[in-house]
Amino acid sequence: MRIRGKTRKGGRSLGRRIRIGLAGGVGALLLFSAAAAADPARQGFLAVTGPCGFEFPRDHAPHPGFRTEWWYYTGNLKTEAGRRFGYQLTFFRYQLTPFGGSAAWPEPPSAWRTRQIYSAHAALSDLSARRHLQAERLGRNALGIAGWLQYGQDITLYHRGWSIVIFPDRHTLAAADEEFAFALELKPLKLPVFHGREGYSLKGSTPERASCYYSFSRLETKGTVSLGGKHLAVRGQSWMDHEYASAPLEAGTVGWDWFSLQLSDHSEIMLYLLRREDGGLSPASSGSYIDSQGMKRHLESGYFTVEALDSWKSPRTGALYPASWRIRIPLLGVDLVVKSNLADQEMRTASTTGVVYWEGSVSARGTKGDAPVEGAGYVELTGYAGGMPVLK
Amino acid sequence: MISFLRLFIAFSLRHAARHRGRTIAVVCGIALGAAVFTSVRLAVHASIASFTRSMDFFAGNADRVLVQPGGVLPEETLARFYTHPAVRDYTVLSTTYARKADAAAPPFLLIGIDPLLDRTFREWRLRGREAEAVEGWLDLLREPYTVLLSLPLARELGLAPGARLALEHTRRTADFRVAGLLEPSGLALVEGGRVGIVDIATFQELTGLYGKIDRIDLKFRRGVSAAEIEELARSLPQDLALHPPSAARESGVTMIRAYQLNLSVLSFASLFVGMFLVYSLVALNVAARRKELAILRALGAAPRTLFALFLSEGVLLGTLGWLAAIPLGAVLVRHLLEAVSRTISTLFVRVRVEDLELSAAEIAVSFAVTVVTSLLAAWQPAGEAMRVPPREAMDMVAPEERRRRSARFAALLALGCLAACGALLPLPPAGGVPLAGYLAVLLLFLGFALLSPFLLEHLASGLDGLLARLAGPPARLAGRAVRQGAVRTAVSVGALITAVALFTALVIMVHSFRRTVETWVRQTVSGELFVTAKLGQVNRFRFPIPEDIVEGLRRLDAAFDLVESRRWFLERGHFPYEFEAMGMETFFRHGDFLWLQGDPAAIRPRAARGEGVLVSEVFAARTGLRPGDRFEARIEGSLVDLPILGVVRDYRTDGGIVFYSHAHFRERFHDPRWSGVRFFFREPPADPEAELSRLRRAILERWGDRLDLVGGRELREAVLRIFDETFAVTTVLLLIALAVAALGIATTLTVLVLERSRQLNTILAVGGSPRQIRSMIFWEAAFLVVTGEGAGLACGVLLSGMLIEVINRQSFGWTFLYTVDWPSLGLSLPLIFGAALGAALPAVRAAFRQPPAALLRQR
Repeated sequence: MRIRGKTRKGGRSLGRRIRIGLAGGVGALLLFSAAAAADPARQGFLAVTGPCGFEFPRDHAPHPGFRTEWWYYTGNLKTEAGRRFGYQLTFFRYQLTPFGGSAAWPEPPSAWRTRQIYSAHAALSDLSARRHLQAERLGRNALGIAGWLQYGQDITLYHRGWSIVIFPDRHTLAAADEEFAFALELKPLKLPVFHGREGYSLKGSTPERASCYYSFSRLETKGTVSLGGKHLAVRGQSWMDHEYASAPLEAGTVGWDWFSLQLSDHSEIMLYLLRREDGGLSPASSGSYIDSQGMKRHLESGYFTVEALDSWKSPRTGALYPASWRIRIPLLGVDLVVKSNLADQEMRTASTTGVVYWEGSVSARGTKGDAPVEGAGYVELTGYAGGMPVLK
Repeated sequence: MISFLRLFIAFSLRHAARHRGRTIAVVCGIALGAAVFTSVRLAVHASIASFTRSMDFFAGNADRVLVQPGGVLPEETLARFYTHPAVRDYTVLSTTYARKADAAAPPFLLIGIDPLLDRTFREWRLRGREAEAVEGWLDLLREPYTVLLSLPLARELGLAPGARLALEHTRRTADFRVAGLLEPSGLALVEGGRVGIVDIATFQELTGLYGKIDRIDLKFRRGVSAAEIEELARSLPQDLALHPPSAARESGVTMIRAYQLNLSVLSFASLFVGMFLVYSLVALNVAARRKELAILRALGAAPRTLFALFLSEGVLLGTLGWLAAIPLGAVLVRHLLEAVSRTISTLFVRVRVEDLELSAAEIAVSFAVTVVTSLLAAWQPAGEAMRVPPREAMDMVAPEERRRRSARFAALLALGCLAACGALLPLPPAGGVPLAGYLAVLLLFLGFALLSPFLLEHLASGLDGLLARLAGPPARLAGRAVRQGAVRTAVSVGALITAVALFTALVIMVHSFRRTVETWVRQTVSGELFVTAKLGQVNRFRFPIPEDIVEGLRRLDAAFDLVESRRWFLERGHFPYEFEAMGMETFFRHGDFLWLQGDPAAIRPRAARGEGVLVSEVFAARTGLRPGDRFEARIEGSLVDLPILGVVRDYRTDGGIVFYSHAHFRERFHDPRWSGVRFFFREPPADPEAELSRLRRAILERWGDRLDLVGGRELREAVLRIFDETFAVTTVLLLIALAVAALGIATTLTVLVLERSRQLNTILAVGGSPRQIRSMIFWEAAFLVVTGEGAGLACGVLLSGMLIEVINRQSFGWTFLYTVDWPSLGLSLPLIFGAALGAALPAVRAAFRQPPAALLRQR
């Protein structure tokens, strides 16, 4: 496996950006911190140490007791007239203290007292107009500001008007900000895929450095994108990840590159590369291949190579990101060139997680076996501007 | 321009240098006035700046602030904005005062926020590396009873991050951990940097204000229309108010402004007295140099050149005076700053001035006022110089007749001024500022100053025969000299009149005020022991005494009567006032109000029966409500609508107060809680001190950690001490005005003597003894001082009435019972007389500085 076009850290720009925020990025701790390297069990959080035994709808809901959790939707959409969009909606949950921790709550506790914080990121890549819009939310799980609800089989995650509702047969997403909004309905075309060993996705060299991780790898999507006062009907395909953990990352890991690709032959590929300080990749890097029938095949790190072909430097943060890749999976006969659909899809979340990462719509083209194949997807690149997501 | 400068240097500067004594005296006088004026303005400005800065840091970048006037918001109100289309962001904020337990340190401001929601509203940052800083503020959410302290506060309390801090509040004392220190910026600079930040959950758990928040801050979506905001405001419950974030700041600043104006006017008085000095010196220069002026004119100098020369003298004196004021002001302002900020905190809004902030605008204003004042003072004599005819170069005698006309003309002008003054008095204030009143005061001073030549002439001629018999020729000669120099000396006499009038008026006003406050304190602030919830006063009685303690207090001691009270701080428009429900019936058994309107005998039983409210004089003045009108207010969700029964005097704060029977308030509005209670002896005991300490002990033993106690006598003494401290500033201003006036007398007499040194030496040469001449100068001084002091006293009595009935009423809304402090006046007026006569000594010495022969030879 080779990684080319390794980039500089960009730590200075992150520092500057964080200082613009109020007290430093909460996300540096919530999601992207090396603090997670400590043994979760010793800190009182639950640890992922084996198969997750997913059951739905139960496991669509949050998993308090684990430190970090997220629900992550991305997709590529198109209007009737062919105007193209990429979108992202992610809800993060972060548990501040373990249950039964040392700091006992006063009696009675204030209604504001909680152990859970929720943040949410929404982005819209207006590919035709070559612009990327983003918004964020941060709040505590109290007084109805942010949190989750269950009505029968339906799980609702909410954050001030933004919501993710997971019904047994469909998901609905809604996010709105000053510049853009979207309301989408997503229907899974395949059953959820449990990554790793029955959802137990190893992220390091010891058993507890792992997450529980499942995806809906292909969801048929329709809905409305609102932009500049106009409401545009859109259709397309989405990807959903749900992942939770307490301490998945090892010291020395500087970031990750994550790929989700939906190919024209109705198969999907998910890869994550854990990048190390020495420029190499962690052996825990892995992926999943989902065939057109929904059958998953686990991809160990030795099964694939990812070569960065090109780079893009963010004018805002100075971070240098790879911008196109060649992905080869010899076992499956896959040879793809993946390109970002818009260079600047950098997420700058000053007031919530306080980290900078690249999360964007991509296209793929190449061969699978002897047949030509195309694809669309999303790529997430972290640790290029200093911060480092815990999961993915 | 250059030729004018050369002329100015040759003609004016050289002359000033030659007579440097009098120039220095005048510059000193202006310097005193300018120093007082500048330092008062700077001190008030610093207080206002500190207050507005605090309010701005609080306001953050919110577009609107939602509050419940006089109360707290239910926190569920927040949910209205989660999905409101007009609202982009929202956050909450609550504040209270708390203090380190068992410490002498004063309470500090504890701010409760949601650190997550607040991120886009206000700036606050933790010290230390980023990761530590994040940990620090996340600890606020993670761990109950954690606090972030501002750096100065942490230093004051000797605490470092991680230290434990026992924090005392009304309900309880809680053990806090210092999670971090705040960088000195944004929210950490509020209240002069004495702040702590806690999570809103901790705030509620400490204060017991569960489910309640002080305010919600809102930020609107970009491009939101005024109509949408209006719509949002209309959709809110009636008892809530949606203000711009600057509203609290503006109402606070408006209150301080009135105080600033009053102090400015008072401090301007010193400058005003200094103006007389400039006038007298420039007028003297014009008078003494008429010959030279005539020669200049004869040589072709234009009248406006001469005018400009003397105006420039005035400007120069003003500038030098202002420059000399700098070191003096630097010392003075430090002392004033503390006094002024304490007064503002006592009367208006809590301010904490960390450091003096030099305001360029204030410095520019003080410079402009000083120079313009001096310029105006030089205007009339400069005009006189312009009119000197060239032919006077050949004349030998001064135009005496003109002077007589001048005296009569001045007297006519004086009458005009006094009439205008009378006409201005009934006018209402402009925007809460008694502008007409101040103008009337200025006209009164001017009127009396203009009257002085007339008075001098008539006094001198009226006493001519009598003095000749009593004191012989020196007194008679002095009388004539005064008559002849009436117009010129009038200026110094005018200065003395102004200073004495100010002195008299302020002595009367402060005395009347103090006597009224004493009576009020004795009658209304009566009681043996005052008990409030811990930190009740500083937290404006937001946290009532817990109900278990109320029950305990009721059953405590049969020897005492209890008068309970419940207080709310409310607003009517932008006018802040207090609503106090008190145990009226019991109160009337032991104390009384100072009644202003209404028949006390008839109103007392009605008030005790809860038939209506009593309002303070300030409340009535500010709201225009009178007995018979209805008082309406929303208090914690209840609509209170009651008739006003009477108006009483109250001097607790600058705001107004409305009193109502607590028993009936409880019945009607279901609020049984107490903000405080006072104890009265039911029957006078044999040993009141012992009884009182027994009561104190009993309360302290049971609830000492949750209640604040203050003895009635201590409280009454404290009220009067605060009063005296407040007026200490006034006294300083007064003494400085008097010092400037004394300087004026010294200058004038010296000038008069120097001018007539030939005449005096001629008397000496023809056989008059030095003693006789000294006696003559003494009598001249006596004429001036008697006239100045007599007219000043009359002017002062008038002025005191104006200050009490117009300026005070219009500025603050209160008046007081008029009482003249005869002992103080009786003691100080002779002292002033003595001091003013003492000021004549340099003149006497100056008379014989040159040998008579040399002087006589000069011509």
